[in-house]
Amino acid sequence: MVFIMASAASLQLLLLACVASSLPASGGDGHLLIAPQSPVLEIGTNFTATCVIADTDRVTADDLSWNLSRTTVPRDQYAKINESALAVTVPVVGEKSEWLFCLGRKASPNFHLDRSKFIHGILLTKGYRPVKPENVSCQAVQGVKYISTTLRCSWAAAGRQTSGVPTSYTLNVAVISSAAFNASTRGNEAAVDFLTSFPNHMMLDIWVEAHNRLGRVESEHLKEEAGWFVKTNPPSDVQVVSERSFPTSLLINWTHPIPKEYVRLTYQIRFCPNGSESWTYVPLVDTATDIQSFRLQNLRPATVYVSQVSCKNAREGHGYWSAWSANATAATPEDRPGKPDLWRIVSEGDDGRLVQFICKDPVRPNGRITGFSIRLQDQKVPRPVNRSESGSFTVLQRLRLADGKSVKAFAAAHNAVGKSAEASLVIPDKAHEPPPVAELKVWPQGGRLWLEWTPPNSSSLSEYVVQWVSGEQTDWQRENRTTRRTAIKGDLERFVCYNVSVHPLYSGRTGRAARAEAFLEQGAPLEAPAVRLKGKPGHNEAELVWKELPQRSRRGFITNYTIFYTSETTTHKVTLPADATSYTLTSLTGNTKYDTWIVASTVNGSTASFNHSFTTLKYAPGEMEGIVVGVSLGFLFLVVVTMLLCAYKKDAIKVNFWPRIPDPGESTIGSWSPDYPLKAEPPKESGVSVLDVDACDGKSVFEEDKAGCLPLKKDKYLSEEHSSGIGGSSCMSSPRQSVSDSDEGGDMADTTAGTVQYSSVVAANNGYKGQAPQQAVFSRSESTQPLLDSEENADTSLQDGGGRGPRRPCSDQQGALEALDFCPLDEDGERQATPTDGQEGAPASSYRLQLGGYRPQ
Amino acid sequence: MQFACDSERRMNGHVKSMRFQQFMEPATTLLSLLLVMAVDSTRIVAASRNQQCGTSLQQTLKLTRLVQKESINLIKTYKASQGEMSELFCKVSVNNVPDPNISGLEPSERLLSIYTHLQDFFPHFKRVYEQQTDLQSPASPLLRELSHVSASSRNLAALITSLYQSLFPNLPVPEPAGGPTTLPPPQNVFQQKVYGCVVLKTYKELLSNVSRELRTLKSKVCRRIQINTLF
Repeated sequence: MVFIMASAASLQLLLLACVASSLPASGGDGHLLIAPQSPVLEIGTNFTATCVIADTDRVTADDLSWNLSRTTVPRDQYAKINESALAVTVPVVGEKSEWLFCLGRKASPNFHLDRSKFIHGILLTKGYRPVKPENVSCQAVQGVKYISTTLRCSWAAAGRQTSGVPTSYTLNVAVISSAAFNASTRGNEAAVDFLTSFPNHMMLDIWVEAHNRLGRVESEHLKEEAGWFVKTNPPSDVQVVSERSFPTSLLINWTHPIPKEYVRLTYQIRFCPNGSESWTYVPLVDTATDIQSFRLQNLRPATVYVSQVSCKNAREGHGYWSAWSANATAATPEDRPGKPDLWRIVSEGDDGRLVQFICKDPVRPNGRITGFSIRLQDQKVPRPVNRSESGSFTVLQRLRLADGKSVKAFAAAHNAVGKSAEASLVIPDKAHEPPPVAELKVWPQGGRLWLEWTPPNSSSLSEYVVQWVSGEQTDWQRENRTTRRTAIKGDLERFVCYNVSVHPLYSGRTGRAARAEAFLEQGAPLEAPAVRLKGKPGHNEAELVWKELPQRSRRGFITNYTIFYTSETTTHKVTLPADATSYTLTSLTGNTKYDTWIVASTVNGSTASFNHSFTTLKYAPGEMEGIVVGVSLGFLFLVVVTMLLCAYKKDAIKVNFWPRIPDPGESTIGSWSPDYPLKAEPPKESGVSVLDVDACDGKSVFEEDKAGCLPLKKDKYLSEEHSSGIGGSSCMSSPRQSVSDSDEGGDMADTTAGTVQYSSVVAANNGYKGQAPQQAVFSRSESTQPLLDSEENADTSLQDGGGRGPRRPCSDQQGALEALDFCPLDEDGERQATPTDGQEGAPASSYRLQLGGYRPQ
Repeated sequence: MQFACDSERRMNGHVKSMRFQQFMEPATTLLSLLLVMAVDSTRIVAASRNQQCGTSLQQTLKLTRLVQKESINLIKTYKASQGEMSELFCKVSVNNVPDPNISGLEPSERLLSIYTHLQDFFPHFKRVYEQQTDLQSPASPLLRELSHVSASSRNLAALITSLYQSLFPNLPVPEPAGGPTTLPPPQNVFQQKVYGCVVLKTYKELLSNVSRELRTLKSKVCRRIQINTLF
């Protein structure tokens, strides 16, 4: 140990001496020098550098310090060798290169002037030692004729490397006892070229050397014969030969890709039916070395097969499998077909069962099936049936079978080579049908429909037939007796409902079926049912109806229907079960427009129908009728009450509305009136001068004893005193009101003239017998009372030759009030006037005149 | 008393005999064990050397057949590339072509003879290649096959050396090429074509002899080695 330390110390001193002696020769101006120069360091180790002072005594080792990049190295890492040399030891960490500086510092007045001479640095390049390459493998591929002269190798590069210390690899290939080749690379693959020819049958020693500035390391040597690395071309001219006498065999021939003197080859063969991707591999033990043909056996007749061949060095572990040869295709010859797949379709009828015997091509048709033949149990000669080209099966025979009878059928398939063995099927009588399977479940999974069932408890069970029906399409498959769970192998469509049934077969006898419906995949319905109103909408309800969705539109099991109905502001929805076909919307608002639609839903989506709009009624049925009837009844009640009131209170009404007025007719004055002078005099009791021409009787006002003229005069009298307020209820009221209610007219009368001349026209032809004057007398009134319009019109009527006007209101009024026993005084007058009057249109004219009221004078 | 002494002597002799027998039994066992171990080790060595012999020889034989096939193809290519009268060229005899016959009595001598003959042909191949380079286009398959056969022949020579060393490790290693063979003087085109064909034919004959010799060697030498190692 002491010896080693002494040796190290002496070596270091020697090194320092060398460095110191080289300083002047280096031509540098500095007084410091670091040894070693530009070192390459392994990461994870410690590095020791020494700084030497040369050609000056201005600084000593005590004045030196070390900086690693910009960091000062702690003094405890320093080692003073002597007064002019200072060593430092730093750990090599990090992959990045760093500078190591030796600095001289001294507090002297002019030291800083020569500062540049007291600094020296070295670049520390860091890296990792190379790691042994692993998994070296090489390959030489075949060229056109020979093995290529290029050997390409690859390996797994291990370990890390830095940019400062990259690792290179050298591939070494030594042909033992002959030449050696190598190639260098930075990557992990390389190739060597043997120049003239591949060293067939020579031993090769191959290894990879990884090296960088920190060292070098070799991989394991791969010492193998050259054939170990060979990958030939695939066999050429591969041909498949079909031999007529061997319907289950094909002969494959090929040519060696390379003469056996170079490489003895073993072969691998694979084949599959055309269109299939499932290759069948011939066991390697069955293919002898160096063969150029092979016979495939146990193939299916009349089937096109694709074959491929590959090869490799026959020596175990040597060489690589070549690529597969191009496809070689041939069909095996035809053979007699296998048994046909005989089945039946049974539909129930009124008079028994309708049975169709149907048949699919055999699983192994061994050629093209040209037809079938069928015979029933009691027939000796089979009946030929041509194969159906349209459907998936051929209907062999249809027959009606009574429920109490059974039938057995035998069917055979035919192809160009011959006839198959017969398949048989028994349809038992209905009463003795064997039991079905139990707990049948059908569900979709992984793009297929799966079935599971519990078998019937019977030892004679031979197999099952799984049948699926969609619309008019029927198909089936057979399962062996141990099957409990299977998937339908046919091509099923999505969104189509399949009626799946499982039929157990008992030694050829069909058992009862278990059935279930299923979808391979459910989707949203294709459409929603069209919703419409049943009848007319009501005031606050409406009944919606729709038809059940057709099966093709459902695309899944309908889970529910949802009815939406919306007014302008709010939308409501109602969810209904899948079997609903109608619904009554209630709590609607009357006289409101509603939009409604229905949404049909499956588990995988929903589809909405078109909108259907309707408007609810303003009134509920009978509501209007009720109102009308109510109002009518009310009115009738009012009328009746009024009438009764009138009837019972006739006297009171009469007294109130028609106070008893002394009848001038009963006056004694009447006895001397015929000779009364024509000169009118104003009534004494009112002080109003009125010349009233009463058309009722056409008599002169001076004939005051005539009853017919009394009412009008009484009116005039009343209007002077007060208004009755009854209005048109009385024949007397209108003229009276016309006069008394007209303030304006009154005012005008008061203001315009102190004296208004009134004229009265007395119809000449209305005179009373023996009492009426012979001609009309016009007399001027002294009264200031304004003229009534009717009175003016009466004048006009008279001028026109009328004489009826003033009479009509009275008669008209009387007609209306006759039942009330109204206007009794006038009644007499009327009776008197009727013979001369007798005109129908008078009331209208009279009424018009009254409506006209009066005009201001 | 006499009886007693005699009896004691006899008894002593019996004791001696018993002791000897007791000594001999383990010795015999040990000897048997050593013999078994020796035989077993020789068998292992024999098997190893026999396997080595078979492998090397088999490998050499394979390469010989390969070069032989290549030489046959080469002659065909040569004839096809020489134009008219090519058959005539190959019927003319030429001197200064190495002898294709293998000489020697012992297998080692014959193996050495094979090596020497192969070495003798290399300069001639080189000469033919040079001559045909002038006569053929650079892309001619003849030139490619010539160089191919030449390279394979060198590999074969290397394998023969290796086989020789493995079979006869105590004999001197055969010297490299540069033996007593003599190349022909400058020739005209006709002579060149004749010379080339004769070289190739002779070489093919040599390879045929080598192949035969190696088969013989395989049956003799490898078995002898096995026998020698066994006893």
